[in-house]
Parts: sequence; structure tokens; C-alpha cells
Amino acid sequence: MEVLVASAIGVMTASGIYLMLRMRTFPVIVGLSMLSYAVNVFLFASGRLAVGMAPIIDKAAVGYADPLPQALALTAIVISFGMTAVIVMMALGAYLHGGDDHVDMDAEEDR
Amino acid sequence: MNHWIIAPIVLPAMVAPLIVLAMRHDLMLQRVFGLASSVAMVVLSGALLWSASFGPPQVYFLGDWPAPFGIVLVLDRLAALMVALTSVLALVVQLYAIGTGWDARGKHFHALFLFQVMGLNGAFLTGDAFNLFVFFEVLLIASYGLMIHGGGGQRLRAGVQYVAFNLIGSTLFLFALATVYAVTGTLNMADLAVRVAELPPGDAALLRVAGVLMLMVFAIKGALVPLQFWLPGTYANAPGPVAALFAVMTKVGAYAVIRVYALAFPTDTPATGTLFADLLLPAALVTIAVGSVGVLGAATLARQAAFAGIASMGVLFAAVAAFEPQATSAALYYLIHSTLAGAVLFLVVDLVTDRRGNGALRGPTMPFAQSGLLAALFLGAAVALAGTPPLSGFIGKLLVLDALRADLTLVWSVILGGSFLMILGFARAGSHVFWKSQATVPDDQAPEAQRPEPLAFAAVFALMAGLVVLTVLGGPVSAWLDTTAQGLHDRDAYIGAVMARAGEG
Amino acid sequence: MSLALIAALPFLGALLPGLMIRAGRDACALAAGSVTALALLLLGLNAPAVFRGEVVQTRIAWMPGLGLDANFFLDGLGLLFAGLILGIGLLIILYARFYLAKSDPMGQFFTYLLLFQGAMVGIVLSDNILLLLIFWELTSLSSFLLIGYWKHLPEGRQGARMALAVTGGGGLALIAGMLILGNIAGSYDLSVILTQKDVIQASEWYLPALILILLGAFTKSAQFPFHFWLPHAMAAPTPVSAYLHSATMVKAGLFLMARLWPVLSGTEAWFLIVTTTGLVTMVLGAKIALFKDDLKAVLAFSTVSHLGLITMLLGMGTKAAAVVAVFHIINHATFKCALFMTAGIVDHEAHTRDIRLLGGLRRLMPVTFVLTALAALSMAGIPPLNGFLSKEMMLEEATHTALFGIWWLLPALVTAGALLSVAYSFRLIGHVFMGPVRDDYPHAPHDPGFGLWAAPALLVVLVVLIGLFPMTMVGEMVRVTAGAVTGADVPVKITHWHGFVPALFLSMFAVGAGMVTLGLYQPLAALWARTPRPEAKVIFDGLMDGVAGLSRRVTGALHDGALTRFVAIAVVAIVAAGTWAFVGGTHSPGTRSLTEATPVAAAGWVIVIVAALALPVIRADRLMMLIVVSIAGLMVTLGFAYLSAPDLALTQLSVEVVTVILMLLALNYLPRDAAVETPPMRRLRDLVVAGAAGVGAAALAFAMMMRDAAFPLISDYHLANSKPGGGGTNAVNVIIVDFRGFDTYGEIIVLGIAALVIFALVDGLLAGGAANDRLLKWPVGAGRAADRHPMMLVVGTRLLLPVAIMVGVFIFLRGHNQPGGGFVAGLIVAIALVMQYMASGFGWTAARKRIEYHAMIGAGVLIAGLTGIGAWFNGMPFLTSAFAYVNLWPLEQFEVATAALFDLGVFLTVLGAVMLVLASLSRIAVRAGETVNVSAFDIDPQGGR
Repeated sequence: MEVLVASAIGVMTASGIYLMLRMRTFPVIVGLSMLSYAVNVFLFASGRLAVGMAPIIDKAAVGYADPLPQALALTAIVISFGMTAVIVMMALGAYLHGGDDHVDMDAEEDR
Repeated sequence: MNHWIIAPIVLPAMVAPLIVLAMRHDLMLQRVFGLASSVAMVVLSGALLWSASFGPPQVYFLGDWPAPFGIVLVLDRLAALMVALTSVLALVVQLYAIGTGWDARGKHFHALFLFQVMGLNGAFLTGDAFNLFVFFEVLLIASYGLMIHGGGGQRLRAGVQYVAFNLIGSTLFLFALATVYAVTGTLNMADLAVRVAELPPGDAALLRVAGVLMLMVFAIKGALVPLQFWLPGTYANAPGPVAALFAVMTKVGAYAVIRVYALAFPTDTPATGTLFADLLLPAALVTIAVGSVGVLGAATLARQAAFAGIASMGVLFAAVAAFEPQATSAALYYLIHSTLAGAVLFLVVDLVTDRRGNGALRGPTMPFAQSGLLAALFLGAAVALAGTPPLSGFIGKLLVLDALRADLTLVWSVILGGSFLMILGFARAGSHVFWKSQATVPDDQAPEAQRPEPLAFAAVFALMAGLVVLTVLGGPVSAWLDTTAQGLHDRDAYIGAVMARAGEG
Repeated sequence: MSLALIAALPFLGALLPGLMIRAGRDACALAAGSVTALALLLLGLNAPAVFRGEVVQTRIAWMPGLGLDANFFLDGLGLLFAGLILGIGLLIILYARFYLAKSDPMGQFFTYLLLFQGAMVGIVLSDNILLLLIFWELTSLSSFLLIGYWKHLPEGRQGARMALAVTGGGGLALIAGMLILGNIAGSYDLSVILTQKDVIQASEWYLPALILILLGAFTKSAQFPFHFWLPHAMAAPTPVSAYLHSATMVKAGLFLMARLWPVLSGTEAWFLIVTTTGLVTMVLGAKIALFKDDLKAVLAFSTVSHLGLITMLLGMGTKAAAVVAVFHIINHATFKCALFMTAGIVDHEAHTRDIRLLGGLRRLMPVTFVLTALAALSMAGIPPLNGFLSKEMMLEEATHTALFGIWWLLPALVTAGALLSVAYSFRLIGHVFMGPVRDDYPHAPHDPGFGLWAAPALLVVLVVLIGLFPMTMVGEMVRVTAGAVTGADVPVKITHWHGFVPALFLSMFAVGAGMVTLGLYQPLAALWARTPRPEAKVIFDGLMDGVAGLSRRVTGALHDGALTRFVAIAVVAIVAAGTWAFVGGTHSPGTRSLTEATPVAAAGWVIVIVAALALPVIRADRLMMLIVVSIAGLMVTLGFAYLSAPDLALTQLSVEVVTVILMLLALNYLPRDAAVETPPMRRLRDLVVAGAAGVGAAALAFAMMMRDAAFPLISDYHLANSKPGGGGTNAVNVIIVDFRGFDTYGEIIVLGIAALVIFALVDGLLAGGAANDRLLKWPVGAGRAADRHPMMLVVGTRLLLPVAIMVGVFIFLRGHNQPGGGFVAGLIVAIALVMQYMASGFGWTAARKRIEYHAMIGAGVLIAGLTGIGAWFNGMPFLTSAFAYVNLWPLEQFEVATAALFDLGVFLTVLGAVMLVLASLSRIAVRAGETVNVSAFDIDPQGGR
């Protein structure tokens, strides 16, 4: 299981980074959400893997998965959602302005 | 327990939503409430600074959970200093934004501004690593909003770059935090310090990775080469007052490095040793070079100011990298100075660019209103940032040079050489913008109607006055900072205060 | 105190002219003058003590920690220089009042001048060398401002920048030198340093310190090879040239060498560097001076030459030479300053400084002629004037000094210098004033009013008096000064007749040969014109432009706004640093055993991998990308569910849905597809970079999962206290709303801010401008389904809404004990509402929207905050939760916690934020011509407007 999770994290990270290195905003954004999946899983995995041990207090429970990383990952998911929303809209705005959705820009145009 | 400790976070966090809820259609009300809370913050942070100056660090146990299980805020001298610096800068910048009408060029300026301040204060006060991440995100997302305030194609595109680059930083932060937790089982900084010291050798490698990844996160914030690329475009395209406020954002990176690494990874830690210093110093020196070369090579005033900011971060990190009290004290003095100086330069540049229509440093140049006064102010800001007498920049530079004797020849030549390039750059820029323009028409006839904007100029003068005060009171200030630095490096007081209730676990 | 006051007065006074200028030019000059006079008076009060051999001191602690204190002291050397600075300053102010034109901003001028004066006085009175550095750099700064005073003149701007570059740069070297010196001596106070000769000269850091300090001194005093900036500084108004660039500032370097003479001089290094530099500068300067045609240029280079002379004398390291140096400093100040002023008068009256256009002025400007002649003769070293005396003594010293072991080298070169000096001095007299009166002067010259020639006249009187009665005039002054320089009592004997010594013959030869040289001027000048020589300004400008151009290219290339490269560099740096850190530490592999992987899990894994790998490939079709990425997200969700994280799964799922909807809507207005633009090599590079990052992440993750933490987890406490302390069985939820509620507080604020940012952004877009126009021109119905509000969907979602809200409430309430909570509930309700929008369009939904989303966000954050604050009222810290169990028939016992109130805040913020974002998006849609239909659903295939 660990191998699967670790490799999945790796592949998602790689795919995310590769997309971030593309020239247009949309792939960059998709890459970012890919990256956030990867890191959320990583964060979650920092509590190690457990099957059938949901951290719901219960006398019958044999043991619990580490709840803290889950809570942290939860926070991370929400935050990255907010971030994604913002960058999507900024990219949209930039495109609507200039009719150009390239991420690279010419520094000399600054006022 | 002293509830005032959390006020710098809660106050803006309550006023901002109130503005959104009740007065989002009335700019005047927004200004009044925004200013009121900024003033309150200055008073408050002053009081906190005072109380922090005497006695040990004060701890605030959120939710009344004992550390390290809940989140704690810690008010020590450093945190109090940063909060006070932020509050003062925020008030001044807000005055400027109102005085120039920047805050009217888009929606929600004041709410975002307050949230930004809240994020900064949270980052300075928290004693919990993950909570630090959360506040980083708060201040970042607020800064995204402020950076694109006023809109415009170029600004939005620069904004996209800013966000994208910092999202990588946020992601990296999470990787680092997860690894820290996986290895040490804690998120509380003080607890982390205790555990790192006793870490079994077998875990050293992973902890080192975690530490370095986190260092890179802070390096992105602090615009340390090779992670500085986001800064020039962002600052050059951000609204003037926002760029001025951002002068303290880069300092968050430096603060975090001082806080986390002086506390949890002192250079005598078996697992990490001088790893972080070894990475920081070279990067800092290159940063100075890149920044000062940029000051000479920049195409516009705003970019020049941005590069000056980068160079100053280089000097700051060079001092931080020594990780010993004298250098840290010097770093803190330079931190205060470069925050004020960077802010004032951005405000002056904004005033000039606004009157001149552009900030180009090449090609034709025309005279503009109030160029005499603005020239004087530009000179002052340039003198401060280049670190030439008589302003605090020189004292800061002396303190840093005096503290860095390790590789004296290299470090000194880089720092002094950097100042030289900056002097050249500012002299060229100044004579192009303020002198050459006079060649076209005689001085007496002002090209356009005067626009006094008293509030804006008052803000600029206030920052200048701050620099003067920092210079004149250099003695007491650096004495205070010496004690602060001592406290940061012998960590027992901090750890003891935070872990006082650990037994309850 | 008085010393500090003397230094401070000019600075305080610098404010006056600016204020007084309204009161007129005279008031302005008067203010400046009286300040200077006052300072001079204070100085005079301290003089007697100095002559008694005492050292006056003023010490004010500033930064004791650093060793930078406002410590001043006054000895002979300081007295002499301060006297020169303030005395000549007074004359300059008088002269400038009449020299400057009406159009020149005089207030500014005097302000700069006083700033400079203060800085200069500061230098010569400083006891603390760090303080001295401050004043030192200030002189560079103020001279920059004064040279650039006539902003409209390009040569003024260039000269100013050049002067700043050279002297400023030297100043930086000086900083390093002084810091080193102070460290060797163990103090930054001269009074201490000057007693540490042996320690300093024994130190291994002596040579570096010496070189750095001399760099500072040489640049300031225009010594070869830094001499070139001085002539270009002549673009400044003549009073400035006379004051800064002949009498005072350029002597700061000499002052420094004299000041540190007791501890630095006497070594081989000192002798060779200083003497040789001085000698070269002296001869070179004199030679160039002879062939310049601009009056001020001649004087500038002769100044360079004389500075070289004094430097050479200081370099010799003998007490006698020091005496001569001091004496010549006085003499040079008097005659050279006078010459500059008269040159200014000529310029002022004849409107030219070009010697070739002048001549025969002696009849037209008799007064100016007499003054110039006397000063020039003194400069030439003609008896009995003061220049003669110091030149004789100098030659005398030269004859006793062997350079490089060659006894005749120094005397010969010095004599050559003297010869040239005679030549150009006489040229000033001959080619400007003698000869026939011409009729082609640019402007008919005549003597100016008294005001303009009073100052030079006074100086010339001094020239004569010192020449006639040296001992009575300046004997004492020279003695105490030389005493201060050498740190010992030295006999001073200045006479006109030394007997038939070699110096006499050298001197006579110099005068004679000088005359001859002038006689042969035309052929020599022609020769000079023909000989190629390096033009310093060209070289310097080339250098500066080169540096600037390089920086421009470097900066432009580094920060060209190419985010893709920035990211690539960042990723590489991060991976490299991480790897380096890992390799540097010991690593023992983890001890945990692998959890076995079920086929189901494996299947999910395959899907994730395929999706992740497919994304880059299908980049052409963005809609497809969106679908694929959401599939990956879905798999991650299932993964969470499978790995005992139900809350995570719920959250991830709901977030997933909203994100996809958001992107789907945004994609409406983004280009649908994009051709691949990057060349293969570039894609390969990216592949490598991304791959490295992936491998790193995977390795880290694996190493992490395979080991147990080295210490007990803090989450054990959370599990143990979730029920008793937090009042909930769902540990994750209790952590979120209680143990780490503060994180959640920040988290919802992030979400709220995000919504505000997006709202503001869209608001700005629609306020007009390029984006707005583009939207208005948006092709109607581009790529939309014909039936945009299908009945099934409408009915379905309408039925769904109450259900969804029920579910939301349920999820919300159970949150504390079972998976769920305010956040998920908020999202679910949001989704339900979004469905309405999707189905029936924005208009219909908006029309039925009860609450403003802004308000919802504000209220949410406020409620959460207030819940936290509530704790204060029972003396608890922020966010301390309280809960109680309530029995309410017919319901079973349930528990009410303030945490639930907090969760309500979360719920409202989330709902408000999501809705505000989508509302903003739909504003774009409306602007782009999306129909705002009022009926629940329309079957109009066109979706007419």
C-alpha cells in the first residue's frame, strides 16, 4: 500500500510540475491542482496508513488512524481550494484584458 | 492570561468582516473604520512592545489547551517588535492610500488591507508551525487581492505569476510540515526544539530534508536567490502603497528563519549542524549582487525599487546566516531600517510615476509637478537604501559589517561593492528623472497643475522621520536588540514558557 | 559641547537659506554668512587652548555598542583645517552672493553649501573615525549636489555623477579600511588609535588597511590615477570650484593622511605608495595644466598638481617634510582660491574662460589683473610671496630624499614639476592679461563691483603678508599643526634665505626654464595636440556605460518575466537542496511493515497514475484535461475513504465538485484548446525537472510512511481528550473546531478573502476597459448546448434543493461526532444552489436569492470570531469551547457545544464564499450576453436575448 501511495504522490507531483512549466495559464492551473492533490495525500500520509480505523471514538474500535494529519489535510484542502479559485479568476481576467493567456510576460512593459 | 496578546490578530479579523458586512458600499465609513483600527493597532502594539520588553516571553494558550497539543501564541521581544513595525507601517501606508485615492480604485481595499495585517501579525505571534502556514496563507491571499487592486492587464498577468510562484511555496511548506510531524510527532515550535535536540541519529537525514524544504519556503518569502524571481514583477506592478506594505512581507521570510532556526535548529544541533547557515550565506551574497546589479540595470523606477529591496534582503540574510547574537541583533536593526526605507522608496516612486506618467529610466524625460520636493525625498530614500550616511542604512551596514568577521574579505567586498553599484544606479536614475528633465524647460514654469495630496506626503515624511529617529536613537535601539537577540539564542526562557503546561498531557 | 556645536551649526544653518530666500538674496546670503561667522567665532574661542598645546574634546555617546560615538577633538591640525573651511567659507558666501545670477535658485545653493561646510568641519573635528566616515560620505554627497547645481547642463550632471562615483567609491574602501584599523587598535577613537603605532604597523592587517584608507584619501584628493574627476567637477559654479575643489574638500584626503600620519607613516609601504603617487600626480597635473585653454581647467589641473606635491611631502615621512606640507596647505589654499575667484570674475565679465579668446585684459580689468598676477606669481614660487617659501622648503626636502635608491630621481622630477608650474602660472598672466587689447571679446569686460573682488583681494593680501612675514603670520599655526601631525614638537623656521643650497639653484633653474618653456608655448602646444594620450573621461564613461549596460543585460535576461523558467529554476534548486540535505545526514530505514494492498486499491492507483500521466499528453483539449483531473481527484477521494479518513473524503469530494464547476464556467471564457508551443528539447528539460521532483516526493513519502515518529505523537492526546475534553467522538472534527480551531478560523478567513478578491477582480473587469469590451463583443451562444435549461435538470435540481439542504443540516449537526461538520455542510448546500443556477440560469436564481453573499461571509467570520471572544467572558482564552448535554424529549440526549456555534460561522463563510465566487462568474456571463431568463426554464433553442 505504502508503495502505491508513495508512487502516486510522486507521479502526481511530477505531472503537476510538468504542467506548471507549460506556456499557457490553463495547464498551469491544472498542474497546481494536481500538485495540491499530491501534497494533500502526502500530508495525510504523514499519519501513516491505516485501513478501517477511522478516528471516531468508539469502545469497539481496535485502534485509530492518526487524526491530526487528517485535520491538517482538511485545512490544506480548503485553503488550496480558495487559492485555486483566485488564480483561475485572475488568469481569466488577464486573458480577457489582453486576449493572451501566456503565463510568461515581457518585464519591459512595466510602467 | 494576557488576552491582549491575541488582539493584534482578532481586532483586524473582526473589523474587516464588519466592513464587508455593514459598510461595503460606503468608502468613507471604510476609511474611518480602517484608520481607526490601524491607530488602535499602533497603540496596542506599542503597549505589547512595552510589556514584552520586561520579563520573559508570554504565552497564550488558544482554546485553553496545553502546549504542545493546542495552538499557542507567544509574545516575546521579537514578535512584539515585528507586530509594532507592521502596525506602524500599515498605518502610514493606509494614510497614503487614502491620500492618493488608491483605495478608491477598486473594491474591498480596506477589508483586504486589514486581513493582510491580521495575517502578518498572526505569522509573527504564533508558536505553532502549522498555524504559521495558515497565517502565511492568510497574508498571501490578502496580498494577492491587494497586488491586483486597481486591475489592468499587465498587473493581472504579473499577479498570476505572483500567485503561481507562491502556490509552489505553499505546497512546499506542506511537504516540509508533514515531514516534520512524521519525524518528530509535533507541530509546536518549542516542543520541536526540545525533540530535535534529542533526535535519534537515524532520523537525522529526514529532519534535515524537512528543515531545508522549510528554509526554501522562507527563502521564497524573503526573495533569496534563486527564489527571488517573483519579486520584481510583483512589486513593480503592484499599486505603490501595496508595494510599500509588501516591504514588510519579505521580512516575514527573514523573521521566520530567525524564529524557527534559532529556536529549533541552533548550529550545535547534532542532526543539522551548520547546514542552514552553509546554505544561507552564499545565497545571501548572490542576492546582494543580483539586487544591486538590478538597481543599476533596472528599466523603471519601480523595478529599481524592487531590486533595492532584494539587495537589502541579501544583506539581512547575510547577517541572519551567522546565527549568533551580535549578528542577529545587527540583522534586526537592518530589518527595521530596510522595511521603512523600502516602503518610503516605493511611495516616492509612486508619487513620481503618478505625476510623470511613467517610471522609465531611459529615453525622453519631461519635467513634472513638485519635482524639487520629490527629488529631495528620492535622494533621502536612495541614501537610506544604498546605506550611505547620514541615515540608518549606514549604521545598519556598519553593524552588519562589524558582526560578520568570518569570511571578512568576501562578505565585506560583496556588501560594499553592492552599495557602490546602488549608489551608481540611484545617481543615474535621479539625474535622469529629476535633473535631465529640467534641461527641456526652465525651472520656474511648472508643467502641470500642482497636486499637493497633503496626506500622501505626510505619510512619506512620517516614514522619513522614522528613519531619522532610528538613526538618532541607534544606541538605545541596538542595545534593546542585543538583549532580544540574546533571548533568541539562549532559548530556555521561550521553551520554558511554552512548555510550562506540557505535564497536563 | 562647543566642538559638536561648531560642527552642527552649519547643518542647522542649512535650513535657513531655504526659508530666508523668500526674504531675498541678501537675507539669504546674510543668513548663511552669519551662521558661518558664528561657527568661526566659536572655533576662535577654542584656539588659545590649542596654541597652549591642549586638546579640546567633546564626547557624546551615540552607539557605544558599535563604537560609533559623537566624539570630537580639536588639536592644531583640526584647528588649521576648520579655520580654513570656515574662513574661506565666509569669503565664498560673500563672493557667491554677487556671482550667482538672478535666475539661479540661491536658497538651494547656500543650503547645499552649508551642508558641505558642516560635513567638512565634521571630518576635521571628528575624534571617532566612524563618525568621520559619516561626514566623509556627506561631503561626497553634497559635492554631488553642488556640481549638478545647474541641472540643465549635461556636463554638470555627468561631472556630478563622475565625482560621486570616484569619491563615493573611495569612501566605501575607506569604510573597510577604517573598520580594520579600528579593530587592530581596539578602538574607533583617534585619540586611542594614534597611540597604537607599534600595534598597528606590526599587524598583518596593516597593509590592507593602509591601501583601503589611501584609496579613500587618493580618490578624494584627486591623486593619480583618480585625478580625472576633479577637472570635470569644474562644471559647478565657480564659488563651488573655489571652495570644494581647491580649498577644502579635495584637501580632505590630505587631512586624512596627515591625521593618521603618526600611525601609518614611516613604513616602506607608506613611503613608496604615497610619495610615488604624489610625485606622479604633481608632474602629470602640471603638464596637463600647461596645455589647457579653459581657465578653470588650468587651475583644476594645477590644483591636482599641488595636491600631489603635498601628498608627496606627507609620504616622505620626515618631520621636516610634514612641516612643509602643512605650510603649503595654507599657502595653496590662499593663492589657489584667489585665482579661482578671479577666473570666475573674468568668466563673469568677459563671458568666456577660453584663454585663446582672451588677452590684454590688464588695461580693461586692472584690479582683477593685479589680484591674479600676485596670486599666480605666488603659485609660480616667485619671492617674496608665500608660494615661494613653501616651494623652496619642498625642494630642500626633495634633495635629501632618494626614491628607489636613486638620489637624483626625486629632485629632478620635483624640479620638472616646479618648472611646469612656473610656466602655466606665467601663462595665466601672459595669455590672459598681457598682450594687445582685443575687440572680439564675447562681452566687453571691465572690473566688477567691490563685492565680487573683495574676497579674492583679502586672500591676496594674505598671500603677500604671509610671504613677507611668514613666522609672525603663520609660524605658530604651522608649529602646532605640524606638532599635531607628527605627534611630536617640531621646530619651525621659515625664512626667505637658506644660503646657497641645492634647492636655491633648482628653484632658479625652474623659474628660468619655466619662462623659456612658456616662450616656446606655441610649438609645444602644437606638439602636445599631436601626441595621442588617453582621455580619462572617455575611458571612465566607457567603463560606467559598460557596467551599466552589462547590469541592464544581466537584469533583463534574469528577470525577463518568464515564469516557466523561474519555476523550473526554483524546482531544481529545491530538489537539489533537499537531496544535499538528505545525503549529509545519517538515515536508518523505517521499521514499519507494509500495509497489504487490495486489488481495489491497486485499481484506484492505476487510474490515478494513468490520469496523471495522461494530463500532459491531452493538453490540446482543455475540457478533457478538466475531466481527467477530476477523475484523479475522485480517486484521491476514494483513497481517503479507504484509508480511514471519512472526513477528508467528504471534504475532498465536495471541494472537487465545486472546483470543477468553477473551472468549467471559467473555461467558457478561456481559449478551449492550445497548440503545443514548446520545442522538444524544452519539453525534455521540463520532463527531467518534473521527474526529479516526482522521484524526490515519492522517496520522501515512502521513507516517511515506513517509519514511526521518534517521539510520542501529540495526536495521542487529541484522541484521548476528544470526548472528555472536546465533547465529540469525531476526533478530526474536534481537532478542527477545538484543539486547532484557530487554524480553522484562519482557514475560513482565507476562503472569505478569496471570495472578496474574486469579487473585486470581476468588479474591476466589468467596470470598463479592454476586458469589458471583449466581453461585450463575445459571440452569443458560442459552443453552448441548444437547450440550455433542460427541463429534466430543472425539475431534478428543484426537487434536489430541499433534500440537499436537509442533508446539509444533518451533516452539520452530526459533524462533532460523525464525519461531517460545518465546512462540508456549507459546500453541499452551496452545490445544491449552484445546481439551481446551472439549471435555471443566474437571473432566475439571483431573483430568488434571499441573502447577500457578502453579508453571509462577513457574518460567518464574525460569528466564528465572536464565538472565540465569548470565551473571554468566562475568563478563558480565545476559542475555549464549552459544552453541555441536554435532554429534550422526545429526542435522545444530545450535546450542545460552543464549537457548534463556531461551526455555524464556518458553514456561513463557506456557503457565502462559494456563492459569491460563482455569482461573480455569472456576472461575467451576463456581460458576455448570457440570457437572464425570468421563467424557471425556457425551451427557446436559440436562448434569444
